Amino acid sequence: MSHFRLSPEKAIPLVLLAMSILALVFMGQLVAAPKVLMGRSLTAIEPSLFPKLMIASLAVLSALVLLMSFIEKKTTAEITAEASAEEGPTDWNGIRRAVLLFAFMLFFALTMKPFGFLISASISMLAISVLVGNRSVLQISLLVTLAPAMLYLAATRILAVSLPELNFIELFYAQTLGI
Amino acid sequence: MLDQLITGFGMAFRVDTFVMMSAGLFSGMLVGALPGFTTLLAMAILLPISFFLDPIVGIPFLLGVYKGGIFGGSIPAILVSMPGTGAAVATSRDGYKLTQQGKSRKALDMALCSSVFGDTCSDIFTMLMIFPIAYLVMQFGPPELFAVLFLSLVIIAATSGRSPLKSLVMLILGLWLSFVGTDPLGGVERFTFGLFDLKSGIPLLPMLIGVFAIPEIVTVVMKSEKVQKLTSVVGERLTFAEFRQSFKTICRSTVIGTGIGIVPGLGQVVAAMMGYSAAKNASSHPETFGEGELEGIAAAEAANNAVNGPTMVPLLTLGIPGDNVTAILLGAFVAQGLRPGPELFETQGATVFAILVAMVFANLLFLVIGYLSIPFFSKLVKIKVSVLVPIVIMFAFAGVYVFRSDSFDLIMLVGFGVFGLIARSGKFDVMPMVMGFILGTPLEYAFGQTVAMGNGSTMQFLFEERLGAVTVLLMIPVIGFMLWRRMRKIPSL
Repeated sequence: MSHFRLSPEKAIPLVLLAMSILALVFMGQLVAAPKVLMGRSLTAIEPSLFPKLMIASLAVLSALVLLMSFIEKKTTAEITAEASAEEGPTDWNGIRRAVLLFAFMLFFALTMKPFGFLISASISMLAISVLVGNRSVLQISLLVTLAPAMLYLAATRILAVSLPELNFIELFYAQTLGI
Repeated sequence: MLDQLITGFGMAFRVDTFVMMSAGLFSGMLVGALPGFTTLLAMAILLPISFFLDPIVGIPFLLGVYKGGIFGGSIPAILVSMPGTGAAVATSRDGYKLTQQGKSRKALDMALCSSVFGDTCSDIFTMLMIFPIAYLVMQFGPPELFAVLFLSLVIIAATSGRSPLKSLVMLILGLWLSFVGTDPLGGVERFTFGLFDLKSGIPLLPMLIGVFAIPEIVTVVMKSEKVQKLTSVVGERLTFAEFRQSFKTICRSTVIGTGIGIVPGLGQVVAAMMGYSAAKNASSHPETFGEGELEGIAAAEAANNAVNGPTMVPLLTLGIPGDNVTAILLGAFVAQGLRPGPELFETQGATVFAILVAMVFANLLFLVIGYLSIPFFSKLVKIKVSVLVPIVIMFAFAGVYVFRSDSFDLIMLVGFGVFGLIARSGKFDVMPMVMGFILGTPLEYAFGQTVAMGNGSTMQFLFEERLGAVTVLLMIPVIGFMLWRRMRKIPSL
């Protein structure tokens, strides 16, 4: 007997269907009322008209994709491939690495402003490099010190754009390099 | 137009343009040659650099990355049968067989020469065709523009991925994301949830890097232990006689690639497969294809590179990106203040011509750099993934941050990265979503203007005064269905 399995193929249309139904129900709260001048709307169409049309289409199409995923006729080869994929060993090591990588990226994103680019980039690069399998202390040390510093200097001094940095580090660069 | 052409020629010949174009070609080949890293990744990561350069330097730099990356992808395809891009799949069929026969240098030389030939011819075609098409597009009103934009979106949905229904879902999701921010017609807030950062809408750059580059990096990290080692480049170089023998095939593939490039959504993968199939069908010895046939490499490479130039036609004239790489190019144009569309040719015609001229001359640099550096690029695998991945991530984050100096964009980058990976695992193509996002605002604007022109009786107005737009709109389901059926016949990649 086949059992229900919430694969990403089914989960994505399911989530989109739920989101679009909620958006249609709460459209009044999600879209501000049109600007009115002396009792007349300033635009030819309601700001929610086009979104309503598109989101309703999304709800219908998501429902169709979901339905198709249940009733789709598959060839024997596809069924065999799917069964072996389901029964085959899940690459938990790969999934663990992906989850950790996203965690390190989120850390980088959240700390870039408070810690400054150099410190947050160094910590994140150290963690990512070890995660990807680097065990050479020399390589890691060079990577986490040279790469962020070179990118920081290239961005701020050559391209003349700003990267967030702590004041004392900015001052150090300015005094050391005289720029 | 002649004035713009002459001015454009003058503007293109700048030392910094050629230096940065060479840097772009080198960077593209470098990233493309790394197994598991693609042109798309290179474009997404290097896009922010172009923002801080002059348009005539920044855009050719990215075009260099594009051209170099497509060729770079064929290096691992030929040497270890590990195509970095879908476009290089057809190349790997014969390329890897030639490597096994000890003729990898010949295969790489053929890939380079046919790529450069296909690219140059299609770029010249683009230069000749783009202004007449732009002139035609200038006659469009909002109803025609709406019809053409809608048609493009349907073509993209019908041709990307294996399921048009899933592509349509992603496309409309992209349209929905384009609604976030301020309404283009009335200026009222929509879907911002009171967040100040969303008032100006979702920025394009975190989306582009998030859905295209981050999932690729994560995939490399997930499979980091399975990266193969490249073999060295061996054997004799390609002779002129061998190139001449394949010349007819190269010309045929160039025509196929050029034709496919104009249609949004088809792209290099379809061109490479069609070019390869056409060469095999026309050959007097089709049984040798897939067994190490130089003509097979020539056919696939000329076709996939011939797509590069013509994708600029819908991009520059209508603002419609033909594929995910041109979507990134669109981001570069917009960031430079060059909004693609018919008016671009009125206001910035000389700049557009200068970019196109640079694009043609990039091919010469491409030939020289490629010819000299093939042995170097083939050794790139010695750079460890554990060194490359942190650097690529650092570039991505710094690039996203410097554009608006907003930490919120970094959170969005991670969010889009997660979404891109989930979508990939559910076999949902993110390309239609990005297209929907990019074309959402102009589509809604054209829709609103069309309704306003109708003044309460839109259908009557369209049928009485805008039959051209009505015809295009009525043809959309038929064209979509025909393309979907045609795409189903192309062998699975």
